[in-house]
Amino acid sequence: MALPSAVPQLPLLPRLLSWSTWAVIAGLLIISLRETNFRIDDMWGSLVDFVLFFGNFWPPDWQRALPQIWRPLIETLQMAWLGTLFGVLLGTPWLFWSSRNTSPHPVLMWFSRTLMTVMRSIPDLLYAAVLVAILSFGPLPGVVAITIFTLSILAKLGSEYVEAIDPGPIEALKAAGASGTQVIVYGAVPQVAASLLSYIIYIFEVNVRASTVLGFVGAGGIGFLLNRYVALFQYQRIAVLLMVIFVVVIIIDSISAYIRARLT
Amino acid sequence: MASRVRTATPVVVPPLPPQARRTKLWQYLLVLAILGITAACLLTLGNVSWERILSGLERNLPPLWRGLTNPDAAIFSRAFAAMMETMYMAVIGTVIAGVLAVPVAFISAANLVGGNRFALPGRGLLAAIRVFPELLFAIIFVAAVGPGAVAGIMALGINSVGFLGKMFSDIIESIDPGPGEALRATGAGPIHTFSYAVVPQVLPEFASNVLYRFEINLRAASILGLVGAGGIGGLLIQRIQFRRWEEIAMILLVIIAFIVIVDVISSSIRRRLV
Repeated sequence: MALPSAVPQLPLLPRLLSWSTWAVIAGLLIISLRETNFRIDDMWGSLVDFVLFFGNFWPPDWQRALPQIWRPLIETLQMAWLGTLFGVLLGTPWLFWSSRNTSPHPVLMWFSRTLMTVMRSIPDLLYAAVLVAILSFGPLPGVVAITIFTLSILAKLGSEYVEAIDPGPIEALKAAGASGTQVIVYGAVPQVAASLLSYIIYIFEVNVRASTVLGFVGAGGIGFLLNRYVALFQYQRIAVLLMVIFVVVIIIDSISAYIRARLT
Repeated sequence: MASRVRTATPVVVPPLPPQARRTKLWQYLLVLAILGITAACLLTLGNVSWERILSGLERNLPPLWRGLTNPDAAIFSRAFAAMMETMYMAVIGTVIAGVLAVPVAFISAANLVGGNRFALPGRGLLAAIRVFPELLFAIIFVAAVGPGAVAGIMALGINSVGFLGKMFSDIIESIDPGPGEALRATGAGPIHTFSYAVVPQVLPEFASNVLYRFEINLRAASILGLVGAGGIGGLLIQRIQFRRWEEIAMILLVIIAFIVIVDVISSSIRRRLV
């Protein structure tokens, strides 16, 4: 398309930057494609295979799968609930230690932020895999993995909420001679309680999704069945499992969306 | 210390207004419900055999500590190569998702397709994809196309379409209609309106979301190896099975270092974008 010459051009530097950005992305993509031997036909071919694979799921084996599913399903939800709760309990102090305006000491803030960044960089499934080797199979490694994940993510994003609060009440409390804990409890907590609670409920949603697969590495819950069905090629039972996960996740998401809408 | 005088002043707390009392009651009920569910969870959580856990701790904690305090340098090059593969998978998966998400986002944006009703199929598809974690996609892809990086890349790609498509269509729905109307008023056709009014408004936010998704995909890619879908997870799970803690420690260090560095770079770019 021929552009009218009156269209203003961007200044040179942003134009160069955007070109170099595209060049970096293209270069990265080309290296990635070459190193992984991934071709565009792979993409279409595997997508077709993926869609065709759903034929194996038919007909879903409700009779045999459902009685096996419901107990691990409850265990999955228990893991998500307990992990979220423990994570919130353990994470709350770190959350205030990581926030510039409520941290008792800059060194503690720096330590807390670094520790949380490192902890957050490991996905929960890797925690679960390592913890299963230490704590043996069962729901406990799953709960611990979810706890660690919740704690680190709460500290990171929660501290962003805390840093955005109105400094007035905190200054007033400090001026009145309140201790550090009192400043946090009476100055910061009431301001962030609603948004933090909403965020915690969101983390619970994420944890429910995550806990459905933790069992794949032996950490309890419905993922353990998934592992068995995959190993035994029982795809018609997997179909039931996927549908159950779908329904449960949708229900939990709806409840949590309803509560969150009322909170804010 | 001794000079500090504490005077006990009688504190008169006025009674709460009825509305606040009702809120208080709700709060008590909420706390009670949370405690109740927690107690129920703790009491009925099956399969927790404390003796096994204690003996596991006893057996594994000392070697774990020894391993974590002196990571095995010999496996560094293998771990690094595997992590590079992980990053390549995340790059390709994110690019695939970024490309596929654009058309899906446009047909899911209510303001472009002419109403919520028409946006529903697209939105529904995206929501359905988002229900399942990428590991489930990876399991099915591995079963369908065999183990390897291709399965992992596709799992990341398809799963990310669910997230990027939703973010993109939200961004499109929130654009300012002013520039588009101004262009149309000067006689610009649909292509010009689109490329000069819609694209400049959405591009920085699209880019920011793609970068954010890349950070998530890098984490996700490092676990896909657990189900045979390529990347460093395969190496890790193998070492975990043999409980080679020195090697596990080194692999974890490589993962942490990579992800932290990528996060720092990516979030500094994102801050400049929006």
